[in-house]
Amino acid sequence: MTAARLDRAQVLSFIDAAAPDTPVVLSLGGIAREMLAVAGRKGNHFVSLDAMGQTISVALGLALGLENSDTTGKVLAVEGDGSLLMGLSVLSTVGHLKPRRLLVYVLDNGVYLATGGQPTAAADIDLVTVATACSWRGAREVRTAEELAAATDWALETEGPVLIRVRVGTAQLPVRYFVEDPAILAEDFRRWLRSSMVTPDLHPSISGRSEAGGGI
Amino acid sequence: MTGSSIIAEDEREGQQEILEQRSAAVIAGIETIDPDHVLHLASSTLKIVLSHFIDGPGARPGRRVFAMPREEEGVAIAAGLELAGARPVLIFQDNGIGNLLTALLTLCQPYHLPLLAVASRRGGLGEYNSLIHTISERTEALLDAAGVRWFQLDARTPVDRWAAEIERAWAFARTTHRPVFVLVNLMGS
Repeated sequence: MTAARLDRAQVLSFIDAAAPDTPVVLSLGGIAREMLAVAGRKGNHFVSLDAMGQTISVALGLALGLENSDTTGKVLAVEGDGSLLMGLSVLSTVGHLKPRRLLVYVLDNGVYLATGGQPTAAADIDLVTVATACSWRGAREVRTAEELAAATDWALETEGPVLIRVRVGTAQLPVRYFVEDPAILAEDFRRWLRSSMVTPDLHPSISGRSEAGGGI
Repeated sequence: MTGSSIIAEDEREGQQEILEQRSAAVIAGIETIDPDHVLHLASSTLKIVLSHFIDGPGARPGRRVFAMPREEEGVAIAAGLELAGARPVLIFQDNGIGNLLTALLTLCQPYHLPLLAVASRRGGLGEYNSLIHTISERTEALLDAAGVRWFQLDARTPVDRWAAEIERAWAFARTTHRPVFVLVNLMGS
């Protein structure tokens, strides 16, 4: 008998609760929309409305940019298996650069769920082995709520980059499309990032530092 | 030595001199920006520029210099860096423009994230790769179709103005909250 898979929404709710004060980059489609459904609009969530295949890359840039900042904790990416496979090369870039703050969750349901459930190639890919072969500091695969909780405790205490592959089912919440202006999403995230810093003036692009000097 | 081979030798030396002068100007322009992250992709025409940042004087403490396997990955990493308040610059050649358009138009453009990309021109006079023309000659048209602002540096701009133009392009990206490309012709045509 096959054990029941975790629900994606259940996993997203857990991640939100586990990292309330942590920058989180959300992949497009069901991951972003279900996180909005279970957690609402959160300042610490950077919602990617498209850019498929680039979720981990955005989080990598954030983790590198915040490497020496006085924010606390990790930078999270919540990615799907289909999107990850579209930009798999980033695993090698992460392994090479070793951003110590980066924690990636891959919610693997084996399909492109948002577009009708077409299968991905993930079922035949050992992502834990791929990540560790790319020199990530650690990677685990989990299938139950208990394993997810234990892996998250481990990941939050372990220097990154670390990856957790979460096997989830294909159940979906009934959610609406999310049509917020992306410029507002970016600005909201910047504001949260600034407010989360002990010394926000260290963040030039959100503290109003001018590149061009004075004048109108 | 025949007359024609002497001319060919002179032409090569002249092209090399132009390449070195223009590469030095591009390096000076990028150094004026003082990026803390330099993301690059392999390019024979950019060899002098890339060497400066990878293992030359530009490889300084506090600056992270690394290769992006694909241009679109670099765009997305730069987007994250911008959100974090960092100062990234991308360096690659123009035949990779096609790879990055989707990331550019689904991330940097709609999210209003500034980005400076310095892309070397390929194709045209002096090009030795027989098939690179097909995409490189369409670089401006591709960027125009995407609504991406670009500036061109070639023989029409005195090389002693290049560094200042690159610095202005950086400021322009920030002023306009969008990606800006500087297309640099290092090959002399």
